Amino acid sequence: MDLKTEVLIIGGGATGAGIARDLALRGIPSLLVERGDFTSGASGRNQGLLHSGARYAVNDPEAARECIGENRILRRIAPHCIEPTEGLFVSLPEDGPEYRANFIRACAAAGIDALPLSPRETLAMEPRLNPRLIGAVQVPDGAIDPFMLVVENVRDAESRGARFLIHTEVTGLIRDGLRITGARVRDRIADKSYAIAANWVVNATGAWANLILGMAGIRIGLALSKGSMLLTNTRLSERVLNRCRPPSSGDIIVPNDTVSILGTTSLREDDLEHYEVTAEEVTFLIDELSKMIPDVKNERFNRAYAGVRPLLQSQEASDDREISRGFALIDHGSGSGSAGLVTITGGKLMTYRLMAEKTADFLCERMGLHVPCITHLQPLPGAGLGNTLRDRLLHLRRQTPAARGEILCDCELVPREAVDAILREGKVRELQDILHRTRLAKGTCQGGFCVYRLLGLLNELHGEQGSDGSNVVLRSFLEERWKGIRPILWGTALKEEELIESIYKGLFNLVPEEPGRTGGGAT
Amino acid sequence: MKRFDLIVLGTGLAGLTAARTAVETGAKVLIVGRGMGAVTLFGNTIDLLGTIPPGTDIAEGIARWIADHPEHPYARTGVKGIEDALADFRGLFPPPYGFAAEDNGNSLLPTGAGTIRPTYLFPVTMAAGAAMIPSETLIVGFRGFKDFQGDTVSLHLKCRGVNLALPRYGLEGTTALALARLMDAASFRERLGEAIRRQMGGERFIGLPAVLGLRNPAAVLKTLEKTTGARVFEIPLLPPSIPGTRVFHRFREELIAKGATFLMGHSVSRANVKGGRCEGIAVENPPLVTEYCADRYILATGRFLGGGLWAEMEQIVEPLFHLPIFQPGEREQWFGKRFFDPEAHPIHRAGIVTDADLRPVDETGRVVLENVRAAGSILAHHQAIEEKSREGIDIATGFLAAKRALAT
Repeated sequence: MDLKTEVLIIGGGATGAGIARDLALRGIPSLLVERGDFTSGASGRNQGLLHSGARYAVNDPEAARECIGENRILRRIAPHCIEPTEGLFVSLPEDGPEYRANFIRACAAAGIDALPLSPRETLAMEPRLNPRLIGAVQVPDGAIDPFMLVVENVRDAESRGARFLIHTEVTGLIRDGLRITGARVRDRIADKSYAIAANWVVNATGAWANLILGMAGIRIGLALSKGSMLLTNTRLSERVLNRCRPPSSGDIIVPNDTVSILGTTSLREDDLEHYEVTAEEVTFLIDELSKMIPDVKNERFNRAYAGVRPLLQSQEASDDREISRGFALIDHGSGSGSAGLVTITGGKLMTYRLMAEKTADFLCERMGLHVPCITHLQPLPGAGLGNTLRDRLLHLRRQTPAARGEILCDCELVPREAVDAILREGKVRELQDILHRTRLAKGTCQGGFCVYRLLGLLNELHGEQGSDGSNVVLRSFLEERWKGIRPILWGTALKEEELIESIYKGLFNLVPEEPGRTGGGAT
Repeated sequence: MKRFDLIVLGTGLAGLTAARTAVETGAKVLIVGRGMGAVTLFGNTIDLLGTIPPGTDIAEGIARWIADHPEHPYARTGVKGIEDALADFRGLFPPPYGFAAEDNGNSLLPTGAGTIRPTYLFPVTMAAGAAMIPSETLIVGFRGFKDFQGDTVSLHLKCRGVNLALPRYGLEGTTALALARLMDAASFRERLGEAIRRQMGGERFIGLPAVLGLRNPAAVLKTLEKTTGARVFEIPLLPPSIPGTRVFHRFREELIAKGATFLMGHSVSRANVKGGRCEGIAVENPPLVTEYCADRYILATGRFLGGGLWAEMEQIVEPLFHLPIFQPGEREQWFGKRFFDPEAHPIHRAGIVTDADLRPVDETGRVVLENVRAAGSILAHHQAIEEKSREGIDIATGFLAAKRALAT
């Protein structure tokens, strides 16, 4: 089953999905392959922050201007993916008034609305803030749902003819002399390999850029920086809270639906497949952010996770935070003898659309086409549909108990019907795909209960694969869940984990797989 | 201040056993607990030591285990102590709803995940599960009851499965407890039996979620077996546990009948410790705080889930008496890197270390509180989840703690 396309996009993060949409709107056919599900990389492992750009205003005015520009565009084209919370830059006594004054000037210069607030005004807006604060500045930060943003880009592109293949990984690039003419790929679930021929190959794999480039014998200077985050069980604030000081680790709390995300750290990372959040990072984030909200010390956490930022290497920088968060579009034709291969990397979620625009502009230019970009003008298909917690609750209330049906996830009120609808669409291929597309397993128990309830549905998805008695799906879910849970186990979370362990290892007798041992399975 | 011979802290199986052992001797007992105890979550069967393969004599297996694990709670009770305690437990459940073992060894019973698990004593309502033949078994689930996925169970056990729809009972979103209460009504179980019979294709065994009533499970079993002509068994499922709730209710009924004071829904806010002895406890019943005292105390407050242990960010503590706790290293080391690590997570070894009399000791082996004993899962050096020893430890140490406490 070999395929052909005009542009082959590698990577189903925000950038890749954005490129597919941009090309589709310009009438250029494309096919996107993604190794896992959409947003498996940094696009799904960030703070979900709609930057105002204020964070960069002092150190990197260019990035700040880019951000505020995209911020305004996203509010227009993707209002349903955004919670317009506003943000505060909070000065504690140790941050001093000097940086604050610089910050206000720099925001003005970058065109970012910045409203200085007195301590009293600040505390009235966010009562859980440290009462010792000396002031705050309000900026147009917000919260964004990256998964929904990506899926919406995909949906729009798909309706205009773009194709998407998830769980499909690139195993090699196809070369014809000095030109790259496609890629060999493998469907990881069906374990089938085939080739995709393309006139252009776009490497939009973010931190994995060098993995793809290595297949063409190319390497670019990328620094990989791990950022770890903590997810709370409750929402700590109404607005995004930043420390008003030079960018550093542990300086931000982003509200996200019913929870908050504490971030971040910045540590060099070499191993892209096995990185984890350490106990040290967890302790650091809690110590640091409890300076802003003292209650953080007593908060129950649901999960910890980390993402890897692809940072373009610069010679003189000593600290990863000083490396520009800017992006680069690299044509591997002239110098590297791989015409037709383009890499777009660096950058951040906020600039995904701009990165897509630049990539599509470049491809159009090379194709000799003169079609302008309209992604900044054309709203995403779901724009105007409500998706807040309030909307979800109203929707449930409007239904009669009979129509509402079974609620699979009691933490997040996910009805069985929502999962059935996704299964009917036929695009999901494994449990994690369903979890990405719903709020299942995102609540306090992190799926400890609802995954059992999903098993019946999964039997349909996996058929006989799950019937060898070893509970493969359940085990791999619990193992994946563990990565996020293990770093936050103390206090209440640890107590509740004893329940989950008692259920799956105790009551259900799922035991570690050992060669030659079938314990826990049916006879 | 109200005075007792013995105060038991905790209403799990360890506390219930200790209190019952004490009332049998005529002692004046107070038992106090915050909730219904972990037995109502997981206590489907009585596990003793699941690592002993079926077919091996349990007493021999445990004797070997004790020799290999001298710090294990079973090393305190000994094989004889376990046997005596279990005999007492079984005495509380006379036929028709009795507990039995198969050939003095472990049996393998099906679970709600379609796995099989070893256990020692099981109620009469589960007996057919140990004997079932997959090709001759029908697994019955209820449409709308999400905590028992009958399809998953039948798929893994390689049986046939059906999901019964019982529209007139409105089972959409129902719970185990609601189903158990329905089963208590004779009319419901007769209709259910009929509905099952219509689905049968010559099967000789029928597996149902473990919800066969709270009041008279043996009668439910009898009705279903009579209507269907097959042997019927309960399959343990997600908490809460209906069979465990039956155990809890039976103990409570017995304790109250024998004159024990049963305080449920209250937490013990403070223990008054003086000169190496506990002199009293304060029970919180807002806005009132009541003081109780006794000559002896048994601490059976469970592990983290029960509130007997608490994990601070740096260490594990016992919040009531601040007893010394065997620590599982730094936080980073509490849990293995994988959920299914071959070794049990080190934190499960944490707990209270005791002398032979179950009195808590410090690192030097010195008794900390002369009139306080610890029983149940709060004890150190067992791995109840992996070993499948939860109920055995509760019953054996609860029994021993009460005997030793009253001997002084």
